[in-house]
Amino acid sequence: MSDAAVWLVIVGSGVVTFLTRASFILFADPHRFPHAFRLALAFVPPAVLAAIVIPGLVSPAGTIDFSLANPRWIAGLVAIVVAMRVRNALASILAGMATLWLLQALSL
Amino acid sequence: MSLSRIHPDARREFLDGCRDIAPVLVGTVPFGFVAGVAAVGAGMTPLQGIALSFFAFSGIAQLVVAQLVAVQSPIAVTLLAAFVVSLRFLMYSAALSPHLAHLTARWRVLLTYLMTDQVFGMGVKRYSDPGDRGRRHWHLFGIGITLWAFWQASVIAGAILGAQVPAAWSLDFVVTLSFLVLLVPAVRTRADIAAAVVAGAAALLAAGLPYRLSLVVASLAGIAAGVAVEWKHRR
Repeated sequence: MSDAAVWLVIVGSGVVTFLTRASFILFADPHRFPHAFRLALAFVPPAVLAAIVIPGLVSPAGTIDFSLANPRWIAGLVAIVVAMRVRNALASILAGMATLWLLQALSL
Repeated sequence: MSLSRIHPDARREFLDGCRDIAPVLVGTVPFGFVAGVAAVGAGMTPLQGIALSFFAFSGIAQLVVAQLVAVQSPIAVTLLAAFVVSLRFLMYSAALSPHLAHLTARWRVLLTYLMTDQVFGMGVKRYSDPGDRGRRHWHLFGIGITLWAFWQASVIAGAILGAQVPAAWSLDFVVTLSFLVLLVPAVRTRADIAAAVVAGAAALLAAGLPYRLSLVVASLAGIAAGVAVEWKHRR
């Protein structure tokens, strides 16, 4: 990618992220949109976040791996359980990282 | 504007916001570092990586853009991917807009720029507390500006220091965990579960698609599944 193209992507990413954030705060009243649209919006966070998280846990190297050679899905399960129990982002992230490091150390 | 000249309630909201976000920074700092490393690893100069962070101020958008720049994707495809991972901002924006409607345009532009997953989650929680809500945008601002400062400092460190952190630390896993801690509370109803499960499965099945289009396909499939379950449930 040329230097100019990279700069275009950088500025374009800024425009795209700003406009999605600005959508209703600056431009539109959400109540003017059809009910189906608002219903769909409600499922954006679980869907998009799962589409990011699940591959990161289950196929970090690009292929689905539920074996012990991939400790990330186990570390992820621990982080999920902690997140459901204590509702504390810090505790959950630390538990997940600690589990990953522990499993990596054990497999050496 | 000096902090001592603003209303005491506004100052208290602002400082509460700065304090409330502190636990989250433990995830923000390594995540930002990873985003900085990823940008330079994708072939951007450190300045470009930092500029991307100032323009987009969105970890996942920065990571996705870096991945697509690395594989020389067309500009339109790269921006489409950035748009899809930013779709969740539409929902946050819709939920926050009634609380911000009384503010000046300058305030709304500022808070729009600073809005991230964590800012939204904590800000909305504060707005749901009882009492006078007139100055709670200061709480939102406190969260946002603190997160912004720590984020940019971490990205700059990552872009400049580059890949000096040993791979064995698996710092990139912080990225997955940062979104996991947002995903768990976002899944409450049966329809939410359907959206998350279908999106997660689709992301795995579509992993072979070029340009990380799997993210686009999986997100749309998950949203459709959530809507379908919700509709069926209501009848």
